[in-house]
Amino acid sequence: MKSLLKFIQIYKSTKQHATLFSLVVVILLFGLFLEAYMHDFNLVYITLFFIFSLAFSAGPIGVLNLGYLNAKFIRSGRFFAKTEGKIAIDIYNASTTASWSVILHHEDVSIPLTKLKGETSTTLFIPFTPNKRGFFNFKACYLESKYPLSTARLTRTIDEIYKGLAYPQPKGKSLRSFLSEKESHYGEEKEFDGLRQYDGSQKLSHIHWASVAKGELSVKVFTKETQTPNPVFVFQSLEGDKETRLSQLCLWTLECEKLNMPFSIHMPQRVLSSSKESIDEILETLAQY
Amino acid sequence: MKFLKPLHSTDFTPLRLLDLSYVIVLLPLILILKTPMLVFMFIVGVILFMKKTAAKNLLIIFIFFLGLLAVYLSLYGAFSFRGLSRLKLFLELLVYTLIVVVSMQRLTQKINVYLLLSPILFLALSLFFYHGIYMLIYVIFEIFFLLWMILAHRMEGDLLESFRSSMIMFMYSLPWVVVLFIFFPRISFEHATYGFKGETVQRMGHDGTMYLDSKALLVPSARIVMEVGFNKKVPSSNSLYFRGSTLYIDKIDHWEPLPHYSKRKNKMYYATQGPSIEYKVTLYPTQKHWIYLLDMPSLTVKNATLDRDLISTLKKPIKEPLHYDARSSLSPKFRDLLDSYTHKISSTFSKEQNPKTYIEAQKIKTAFPSEEKRAKALMKFFQAQSLTYSLKPEALDINHTTDSFLFDKRQGYCVHFASSFVTMSRMAGIPSRIVTGYKADISNSVENYLAVKERDAHAWAELYIDEHWVRYESTSTAITITEQAETQEAKEVKEENQLYKSINLYLMYAKYQVETWILYYSNIRQLQLLKYAKQNPRFIFTFSMSILVLIVFTSLVISYFRRPRYSSKSISLLQPLLKSLKNDGYLRKKEETLHQYFLRYMQDHPDKNFIKEIDECYEQISYGDDNSKETLKELKKLVKKSLS
Repeated sequence: MKSLLKFIQIYKSTKQHATLFSLVVVILLFGLFLEAYMHDFNLVYITLFFIFSLAFSAGPIGVLNLGYLNAKFIRSGRFFAKTEGKIAIDIYNASTTASWSVILHHEDVSIPLTKLKGETSTTLFIPFTPNKRGFFNFKACYLESKYPLSTARLTRTIDEIYKGLAYPQPKGKSLRSFLSEKESHYGEEKEFDGLRQYDGSQKLSHIHWASVAKGELSVKVFTKETQTPNPVFVFQSLEGDKETRLSQLCLWTLECEKLNMPFSIHMPQRVLSSSKESIDEILETLAQY
Repeated sequence: MKFLKPLHSTDFTPLRLLDLSYVIVLLPLILILKTPMLVFMFIVGVILFMKKTAAKNLLIIFIFFLGLLAVYLSLYGAFSFRGLSRLKLFLELLVYTLIVVVSMQRLTQKINVYLLLSPILFLALSLFFYHGIYMLIYVIFEIFFLLWMILAHRMEGDLLESFRSSMIMFMYSLPWVVVLFIFFPRISFEHATYGFKGETVQRMGHDGTMYLDSKALLVPSARIVMEVGFNKKVPSSNSLYFRGSTLYIDKIDHWEPLPHYSKRKNKMYYATQGPSIEYKVTLYPTQKHWIYLLDMPSLTVKNATLDRDLISTLKKPIKEPLHYDARSSLSPKFRDLLDSYTHKISSTFSKEQNPKTYIEAQKIKTAFPSEEKRAKALMKFFQAQSLTYSLKPEALDINHTTDSFLFDKRQGYCVHFASSFVTMSRMAGIPSRIVTGYKADISNSVENYLAVKERDAHAWAELYIDEHWVRYESTSTAITITEQAETQEAKEVKEENQLYKSINLYLMYAKYQVETWILYYSNIRQLQLLKYAKQNPRFIFTFSMSILVLIVFTSLVISYFRRPRYSSKSISLLQPLLKSLKNDGYLRKKEETLHQYFLRYMQDHPDKNFIKEIDECYEQISYGDDNSKETLKELKKLVKKSLS
């Protein structure tokens, strides 16, 4: 009884659509029907009834194959406007038997699912590009299967909506060029102290070309270098429109995060400081500005 | 499912799966294909085997023309546009065309919808050509196999998993097929039999004449001539006389029926005495016109003629298994008003041919004025002659057969008994004739089923007494049967054979039931079944129970094949425990080992020591390579204990 109720439940949540093969089966059944009826062939009747019954039983079997799959979005990664990201989705097969021939669909994207054993799960990644910054809803995602006979296309909509926040598209001038422009303001080299390995954050003018020739990428370090103060990005002083400025700030935020460099952003009515707020909080503020 | 293990490591590409399907569906068709087409298929097969890449257009065009040539040569002489109206030829052409087209597409190594459908089309076409119990079994196998291949294609070529799934689907559909087969409305079109070649072997010891010498059709073989299904239990042994032909004219060495020009006029004239019985006959090819009906027939068989002597014939010789419904009145006599010509013929004898018999017949004639008593006296006379029934008698004096049989050799089989009895009856003034046919052996019956064999061919006498033809079993007057004088050793062999005979009989009975209820199930039988069900509520209950049993059986098979497969025996043994823990709310986390899972459980339930024991035992099996029966048994015991 419990199984029946479960079946009814999953049957209701699964949609069935006829395929071209179902039309072929109908034509085949009609042909066999004529053959059987006109000539009173019991062997043809048996074949006819078998094909009919198999096509008929394909429905519930297909529903059982698909109906036990539960999909759940996994929160991971950041999304940026107009930049492709991946939405992770965990598919769990609650049945004790394996599920076959299932495809995860979202708009034009189709991701085939290989055999999913019973009571196991797998993670799929759906490519997604938010059109603009701000909140977005990812939906219209569904699982599809033509198992077992391709006579019906079964679909199971994933009801859960992925609510995400797309940060501004990171683009603009690089942090390095920003710092170069502000070099005098932020510090000056005094005395050569030695070499250290280049980690991408140093100025190009500090690259020690002699070591480059030897195959190592080192930079010159000066002892009496004035401590570079934390960079301060001022929204109002940036060029371009609002979106361009936000994109620029987003890029610098990410670069500072990468370099583990503390920074602050002066927004018109608020100051965002990496020492007080996490990077994600800063990015969220930029996304929702 | 150990027998399926070899499939586990076998993966097939879609093309290989398709090829396997072709092998299965083309097998029955190969038997009807002409040599040129077989050669064509062989060539295509070799090309496919040798060439693993897609064929070039030139090769495909070559195969097309080769196919055309094969079709032309296969149908050469038989083909004409008029011939297309013959369905068999038309179907052959369809099969050939399909083979050529499929070959061309297959060579491209590309699967399209038409190629996917072609195995089912081949299957449907093969059904036109065959209709028998073997084909029934093969068709069911073909359907299962095609289903298996389709699922294997869907399941990434995994033959083992697809076998399990196809078995589940097959079992799901089986009860539906049974119910549909029984109740799906039929109409009464004639069952078409084209294409099914009849046997050319003559299956009988009956050909409308009866020789007394070495030309006699004595066939002591156990081959089945016909199978009979009665609507109730098989009648008693002394009623199992199946009429073949009636012989009136004594030609010294053989007996003949009335000549065609003097055939008695047909008249709707049926026997009505005795209990009526209905039965269905499956008569195997005899290459003759006669059909056999139980004495005395009371209904004309469809498409057959029943004459005044109650002999039933068809216009065309029987070249394929014939199925007919019949009705008879179980009586050894029936009323017939004899015309003068037939009366004269039935009384004709030659005094000079058998003088000794004539003298004895005259004595009986004088002593018994009543024809009935005279006939009884004749039977007694035969019994007094100490006659022996022998299938290998000494040759009779062919010019004086009756004298030779009754007074000299005293040995013979049914034809000699019947011939002599009829001759003597005529001499004693009783018109008489010989009837040939089959006297079935009751030991060849099960329930309502009776098998009639070649060795049951028989001849008996009919005497015209008081406007009735009365059957006299002249062979019963034999006082000894040579075959009974058997050695002890022979008896033991016979007893052993008895078991074989019994098994064989039950197999034939099963085959007959399958043919009756499946292959020749018709709208008539359907209506009969419904009528019977209306009259017998108990039958409805029995029928419903049978369907229920079928559903239970299929459900059991489904659950067997739906069982999840586990990577090891130990994991399989742990399943009840894991299920129980899961029901308690302890879900195993992703990537969590069983050991970690058990530890997690034990942290919350330190009192449950059995989990620790199970964990240790499992570790011992999994990592200590201890797969001994004892350890597995121990694990099973621990799991069982933990659940109690």
